[in-house]
Amino acid sequence: MSDAAMHDAPVVYNDAVVKKFVIASMFWAIVAFLVGVYIATELAWPWFNIPPYLNFGRLRPVHTSAAIFAFGGSALLGTSFHVVQRTCRARLWGGDALANFVFWGYQLFIVLAASSYLLGFSKSREYAEPEWHLDLWLVLVWLCYLAIYMGTLMKRREPHIYVANWFYLSFIITVAMLVVVNNLGVPISPYSAKSYSLFSGVQDALVQWWYGHNAVGFFLTAGFLGMMYYFIPKAANRPVYSYRLSIVHFWALIFIYIWAGPHHLLWTALPDWTQTLGMAFSIMLWMPSWGGMINGLMTLSGAWDKLRTDPGLRFSVTAVGFYGMSTFEGPAMSIRDVNALVHYSDWVIGHVHSGALGWVAFITFGAIYYLVPNLWQRQGLYSVRLAAWHYWLATLGIVFYITSMWVAGMMEGLMWRAYDRFGFLRYSFVQVVMAEHPFMVIRLMGGLLFLSGAVLMVYNLIMTVRSPITAAPQAAMLPAGLAVAGD
Amino acid sequence: MDFETGDIVVGLMVAALGLLGLFLAAGAWDEEMYIFGLALAVFAVLFDFGLLRRHYDRADAARSRPHV
Repeated sequence: MSDAAMHDAPVVYNDAVVKKFVIASMFWAIVAFLVGVYIATELAWPWFNIPPYLNFGRLRPVHTSAAIFAFGGSALLGTSFHVVQRTCRARLWGGDALANFVFWGYQLFIVLAASSYLLGFSKSREYAEPEWHLDLWLVLVWLCYLAIYMGTLMKRREPHIYVANWFYLSFIITVAMLVVVNNLGVPISPYSAKSYSLFSGVQDALVQWWYGHNAVGFFLTAGFLGMMYYFIPKAANRPVYSYRLSIVHFWALIFIYIWAGPHHLLWTALPDWTQTLGMAFSIMLWMPSWGGMINGLMTLSGAWDKLRTDPGLRFSVTAVGFYGMSTFEGPAMSIRDVNALVHYSDWVIGHVHSGALGWVAFITFGAIYYLVPNLWQRQGLYSVRLAAWHYWLATLGIVFYITSMWVAGMMEGLMWRAYDRFGFLRYSFVQVVMAEHPFMVIRLMGGLLFLSGAVLMVYNLIMTVRSPITAAPQAAMLPAGLAVAGD
Repeated sequence: MDFETGDIVVGLMVAALGLLGLFLAAGAWDEEMYIFGLALAVFAVLFDFGLLRRHYDRADAARSRPHV
């Protein structure tokens, strides 16, 4: 076949693996939100802690891992496979078996990690709880994922690498680096799950939070920005507002994020200059973060009316709004004096959930509402009305959640630092906990609303898939179209 | 028979991992490693059977496709 004929030959994309990731993502979303609601109930009424398996200490990492790695991770892997094929006009590199290995291997990691936490095994490192053997398994799966992604980029038929791929690739490479370095350790035996970290003392804490914050920066930010840069232009049928801005904020974000980790260790034994460094870089992060927000929102220029009729796009755009809000709140919280009040308080939980629910979950819902009818060749969703209900339930849930946590956090911080005229603490710890009870209940209500919305979404998507095929199959070599256009 | 190279490479890699899982389960010092080892072995068996099934499904599909 000649080069020209090769170039024009239709490409049959591997959509099977994308579909599997979409289904897995929706399944894990329900698991993550359900466990979240349960542990919120435990915090409001402690007798819901049923030892040993349903203790808060064991269920909490199940919730965070299910939300971040299972729900968010499956969505990222699935959408990245979708995006890289469309924007490169190439089928996934490495064959179907390798893509399937990445899917099933990743799901095995999630199931084993969750069961391991329930059995009481944990490295006690936040967001890096799996023991060493599970980390090695994850690294193997992740390297296969990287190979597929890089291989597909290298065999692309498009001359240009679209910016969404830059974000996805930085997420894949950096997460690999973070997981490897943070989990360096010495197992007590190849036959034992127990290991000791290679680092000790404050260095161990610094490496952990270098990992922890960059898990936020590269897993929960860069990856989902990749999602934003593909699905918002596609759903809005508009080009990216400024392609130049997307490149500038990409490099600024990548350069600055990696230094911000020490802000998790303000007022600790970490050297003062390192704390200042973390604080300064966190404040600088505000600009590239808002560069992304502005680019996402302005892409809607001329298409704002679509928000009235397309709940999926409404999710995506609200997500960008939450992204802007939480990336303003984060730098503010990293200022030493603000941190002195809010650290260890529930404000942090509110901040995390405005990012996790408002940004990560909403941008994923937007992408999934776009993807499911497209992948299963349906003209639209089973019910746009149900999707709109989902949107309002979820939004109201987030509002309940984050406002209750802001108030609880500020109250906690102020009560902890209150002294009487003799210099004694004014409140005992248990008094603070009791004062928080109403806010724990409000937070639970917020979580329940969010979960109810997600249940509606899953029902809507199942019915969409079960409805008759109504759309013509996509042209196999469909280029990315407007998503690649722009300034 | 027409095998895809990728299928063979991944199939062999997974088989080796399954074997490693059996060794880990056999020598496990704790229940976590025991479960991990067995899970790896079961994963390998199911994954490789899946590869075989897909291979024969593809072959059947190719046979039933009308020749042009």
